[in-house]
Amino acid sequence: MNIKSFDQLTSMEIDTLREIGSIGTGNAATAMSTMLGRQVRITLPEVRIMGYNEAIEWIGGPETVTAGVLVRMSGQMNGIMLAVQQLDFVNLVLGSMLGTTIENYENLDELRKSTLVEVGNIAISTFINALTGLSGISVDLTVPAFAVDMQGAILAVPMAEYGGMSDYLMTIGGNFVCDNKTVPCRLLLSPDIRSLNFLLKKLGVAE
Amino acid sequence: MNQKLTVGIADMKIGKGNDLLVTYALGSCIGLCFYDQRTKTGALLHIMLPLNMEPGRKNPLKYADTGIRETLRQLETQGASRSRITVKIAGGAKMFEVNGGNLGNIGQRNIESVHTILRMEGIRLLGEHVGGNVARTMLLDVDSGQSCIRSYGRPDIIF
Repeated sequence: MNIKSFDQLTSMEIDTLREIGSIGTGNAATAMSTMLGRQVRITLPEVRIMGYNEAIEWIGGPETVTAGVLVRMSGQMNGIMLAVQQLDFVNLVLGSMLGTTIENYENLDELRKSTLVEVGNIAISTFINALTGLSGISVDLTVPAFAVDMQGAILAVPMAEYGGMSDYLMTIGGNFVCDNKTVPCRLLLSPDIRSLNFLLKKLGVAE
Repeated sequence: MNQKLTVGIADMKIGKGNDLLVTYALGSCIGLCFYDQRTKTGALLHIMLPLNMEPGRKNPLKYADTGIRETLRQLETQGASRSRITVKIAGGAKMFEVNGGNLGNIGQRNIESVHTILRMEGIRLLGEHVGGNVARTMLLDVDSGQSCIRSYGRPDIIF
């Protein structure tokens, strides 16, 4: 049976999605570790189905400024993948790769921006590669887009995209841990409902 | 009454007296400040999408068309008069430069839809700060009827 809304997912389906999140984030962490030359681990990934306002509180309040890297998926699966990079993560990346850190986002120049885009893009692509390898689905990705602004507005992008279909936002993703410190970079996968049904069917868990 | 009321996404609140209404981080969404000068009644609406085509219409405040009409209806039951109500809007930005899907132009479609619905309902649009690629936080001071827009890395705008 196809689900019509994210809140109809069974616990087995949610477990499967969590496993996808775990493999995807794990692969992204390995890629990140190679890039940064440090050990990077992941926290236990979560599958969350949240109302709009709940999602914004969960990510840390609407007005906090963060950097977001966004990639659209198309092909057999449609959706959006977002890497939300909070300041600690930005400084970890810039410190490891360029040897500089920033006080706030206003100090981001072109080189630093493009470093963040690339790190976000590699993390996202690795995640999607793991997902497609596992499920046998082919997915095309767009060039990454980058924005630094209030995270409420960044998170509203996947909401608006699927707002006509659902009052909920589903995200699969996790945080990175580097040098025993959680660095807030969330990888969020938001597929549309049709693609989610297709994915679950491909993985053999849809009823 | 003298309180700060926070309006979420797909949400609307009505304020009176010295209330301060605020909605955070409008990206492609649009914030609308409704105000009746005579009765000092204000409402702040935060819509996300241009047109309600959802079966069942569970959440009218999510959409420009049903959201605006529902807000006007509730304001009128609070004693505001449709002929005096004026509106200021903010939002409708494009946060990411991405091609494909309907992602890119949702902000623009929201702006156009809000303009059309306001014209159809005969409501006067007093001012707007829309488009671009910045997130905006919108506030309405119900006592004075003034709106304020806060964006990251830019000076506040009062209008």
